[in-house]
Amino acid sequence: MRFLLLIIPGGGYAAAAPDQPAPADCIARMTRYSEEMLEAGILRGGEGLHPPSVGARVAFAGGEPTVTDGPFTESKECVGGFWMIEVTSREEAVAWARRCPASDGDVIEVRRVQEDEDFAEDSRKAATVSRR
Amino acid sequence: MRFMMLMIPKGYEGAPPDQQPPADRVAEMMKFNQAMQDAGILLYCEGLHPPSSGKRVSFAGGKPTVTDGPFTETKECLGGFWMIRVKSLQEAVDWARRCPGSDNEVIEIRRVQEVEDFNEEIKKNIGGFETMQGTARKKPAAKGPKAKAKKPKRKS
Repeated sequence: MRFLLLIIPGGGYAAAAPDQPAPADCIARMTRYSEEMLEAGILRGGEGLHPPSVGARVAFAGGEPTVTDGPFTESKECVGGFWMIEVTSREEAVAWARRCPASDGDVIEVRRVQEDEDFAEDSRKAATVSRR
Repeated sequence: MRFMMLMIPKGYEGAPPDQQPPADRVAEMMKFNQAMQDAGILLYCEGLHPPSSGKRVSFAGGKPTVTDGPFTETKECLGGFWMIRVKSLQEAVDWARRCPGSDNEVIEIRRVQEVEDFNEEIKKNIGGFETMQGTARKKPAAKGPKAKAKKPKRKS
């Protein structure tokens, strides 16, 4: 089963300036951690995101799209990046999350990814599209 | 440039573990996915099971502490995402606006970091990472290669 490990950085990332670089030593640690996942054969992908200050939000209240520029002052947490892993259980996913060389205040949210077989039959028919 | 469109469905943070989206919503979202795929901008997309079947690992004081979902202190949660490749933030926003979003939904658009976005010192440390990501993606899944993409999971 696949799990998404979402990193929610502490340390003011939600309000970080657009060009604020992550500390080089932190990136080096995270890269080593990712390499360990790759060597274990469980890593399926991973990305880091620019701070919300260079992002935007589209809300659909009332059915009409409304665009707001980042940073998003109302949200206390924001995603900083993710790893997609394939393991045999949620416990294994959590064990990997615990090994992350995260900083004080960081949180990793472990969420199971929906597979085709998790959907009801009628949704499955509607939900499938060929991957390029 | 690549953007991640994060679907944040209000109320999904408290959804039961087995909650299913209505089939008609899935079909609507499929049309949106298809439009992005036809335009050649959709790289992949995924839906997530509700946080009630998830866990959080926090690192306060540097030590990992595990909490079971749902995460009562959070007002928002991720329901799924699309990864797209477009020319500008504006183009990403235009695509997000076309999403058949419900009243309770918000799409957060975030630019993905590319190797060239980092300074030289960091680039040295992440030298092999792009290759590594490519290798990770090419590895077949345990059950065989993923041949299908799904719509992100939606709250009813």
